[in-house]
Amino acid sequence: MARIEALTGNESAARGAALCRPDIIAAYPITPQSSVVENLARMRANGEIDAEMVEVESEHSAMSVVQGAALAGARTFTATSAQGLALMYEPYFRMSTLRLPMVMALAGREMTSPETIWGGQQDSISVREAGWIQFYVEDNQEILDIIIQGYKVAENEQVLLPVNVCYDGFYLSHLIERVEIPDQELVDQFLPPRRAEHVILDPQRPMAVDPMTPGHLLMKYRRDHLEAMQAALAVIDAVDAEFGRFFGRRYGGTIETYRLDDAEVALITIGSTTGAGKEAVDHCRAQGKKVGLIKVRVLRPFPEQRIRQALRNVRAFGVIDRSVSFGWNTGALYQEVLAALGRSGWALPSISFIGGLGGADITLDHMLAAAEQVLALAENPRYDSPTIWLD
Amino acid sequence: MKLSDVFWETEDLVSPGLSACPGCAAELSLRTVLRILGPDTILGIPPGCMAGAGAVGWNRLSGVKVPVTIPLLDNTASLLSGIRRYYLRQGRKNVKVVAFAGDGATADAGFQALSGAAERGENIIYICYDNEGYMNTGFQRSSTTSKGSNTSTTPVGQLSQGKTQHKKDMPLLMALHDAAYVATISPAYTQDFVSKVEKAAVVRNGLVYLHVFSPCPTGWHFPPEDTISIARLAVQTNFFPLWEYENGRFRQTLAVSQPKPLAELIRRLGKFHHLTEAEIADMQDWVNHKTELLTRLFAAREDLAP
Repeated sequence: MARIEALTGNESAARGAALCRPDIIAAYPITPQSSVVENLARMRANGEIDAEMVEVESEHSAMSVVQGAALAGARTFTATSAQGLALMYEPYFRMSTLRLPMVMALAGREMTSPETIWGGQQDSISVREAGWIQFYVEDNQEILDIIIQGYKVAENEQVLLPVNVCYDGFYLSHLIERVEIPDQELVDQFLPPRRAEHVILDPQRPMAVDPMTPGHLLMKYRRDHLEAMQAALAVIDAVDAEFGRFFGRRYGGTIETYRLDDAEVALITIGSTTGAGKEAVDHCRAQGKKVGLIKVRVLRPFPEQRIRQALRNVRAFGVIDRSVSFGWNTGALYQEVLAALGRSGWALPSISFIGGLGGADITLDHMLAAAEQVLALAENPRYDSPTIWLD
Repeated sequence: MKLSDVFWETEDLVSPGLSACPGCAAELSLRTVLRILGPDTILGIPPGCMAGAGAVGWNRLSGVKVPVTIPLLDNTASLLSGIRRYYLRQGRKNVKVVAFAGDGATADAGFQALSGAAERGENIIYICYDNEGYMNTGFQRSSTTSKGSNTSTTPVGQLSQGKTQHKKDMPLLMALHDAAYVATISPAYTQDFVSKVEKAAVVRNGLVYLHVFSPCPTGWHFPPEDTISIARLAVQTNFFPLWEYENGRFRQTLAVSQPKPLAELIRRLGKFHHLTEAEIADMQDWVNHKTELLTRLFAAREDLAP
């Protein structure tokens, strides 16, 4: 029987990782992620998990240690935030381009400067072109569940890519929620041990891994990587469905829609602000306003077709970003959605909303105001709406 | 194993035809190291001369005949720690996980990772071939480049006499990390070389650090056929003393009873041709100071004996 416990987001991440029986865990503490490492270390100290823990001297080494272990065939786990992610960028990029599957929890934090330790999504958003699959989750149950799903996706032979499970720092990392913890036996059935085939460092199968590669071959590797990303879209949906059959919970795959069927306008959210967004939708609906919501659960690969499909009947939409795109004067997710529409020769009136940077709140009032703006836009359509700051 | 048997009975696990420069001491050392460590070895060769020369090659057709990868310039010790941890976890303790890294990947960019791995006692064998600079990219300065060296980033000019700092003492730093086994190695003293690698191969209680003096004809400007005699002179001038460290004790492995003047070495290397007598005297002072320090460390072995 599954157990119910009250867990923080970081505890959920640690418990989720533990259920996946990683061989090697290497991590370095950083706010707001630190208690992920601490929880795993405590489980190790108490004999509750069997993983090797490597207490490295930096995030650069954390990613390097798990990379070496993964090259030798291990299942690995690490976690970080913001500056730690920035420091590990070099081996981070290489993890995906070596096609090494793993899961890394990311307790999202705003990037310095100005000096900050609080929540935001600029850290993970900034590495969206580093070849990793990126999930963004809404609550603590989803953190635990998607870490388990993440390994299943990452190790799928059509995919073979590392996975980030991104959850908002402090809003989830330090929030206590009810979390259902599945049975170990059931997780073991769902997620068999990793079998490393395509690249391995083993004297019994000697191979040279990553010699100097000429451009025409490098292009082939990149094309394969992009195709694996596209293949992952279907795998993510299928793994979610299978997870549902095992554990009775599913999340809709790459996107989730909320009260969208007859909606005239849509709010598009990512991460924990989805909760306030759904609440705002309920308020609007109670007043007869036809507002729906799309939660983007996977930013990489971007669920282009499902986003287009979800938006096909609305007259306008707004995207709520907790990050910025410096060159566009908009949020980052907003540009992703525009690209998905534009590639089918389609445009809709839309607004980019930016809020929640550096730990600032996105409140129900913010969401209600955003919904009103988008409803007004649907009545007076235009395609050059200025970015609105939720401050 | 007798020295003659080492080369008679072991396999050369490096393919013929690496594209290293003529007279390269690093390639020679790599061949000797792999003969002794054998095929049950996983090798990490970060960016540098040996990676550039093709040692990270295609699956036994070129390069080396053991599993090999190219770590990043700055994460060799961490990457290999992960590999070794997984082999220990699987109970395959005899698979040796070995770094063969240049001085830039060791003393500069990779120093933090190496320091961390040594502090944690990771059971890897880390070998630094010290050719005193970034040689495969045209001899840029590193922190182990000798003072006075004419390098492409410390060029000699009207206002410059080359690098202005003495070299970082990597083997001593690693000994002070209390690594399980530390040794200095010269390609000119093969018996000493072989016995130290043999010793390294069976260490199980922590990190091994071997520092190989690796004369570079291309960068240092001397004839390729002089590599071994340059390496020997470096030992005989006390510029590169041979010693080892284990169990908290320093031990001299080759005594130099009548050291030759450092000038004999300096005069044979083009990178030092501009140096004045006063500058050479300054370098001799530095060598004398280092020799005195090491002598006391060797003596401390007796002083501290229980």
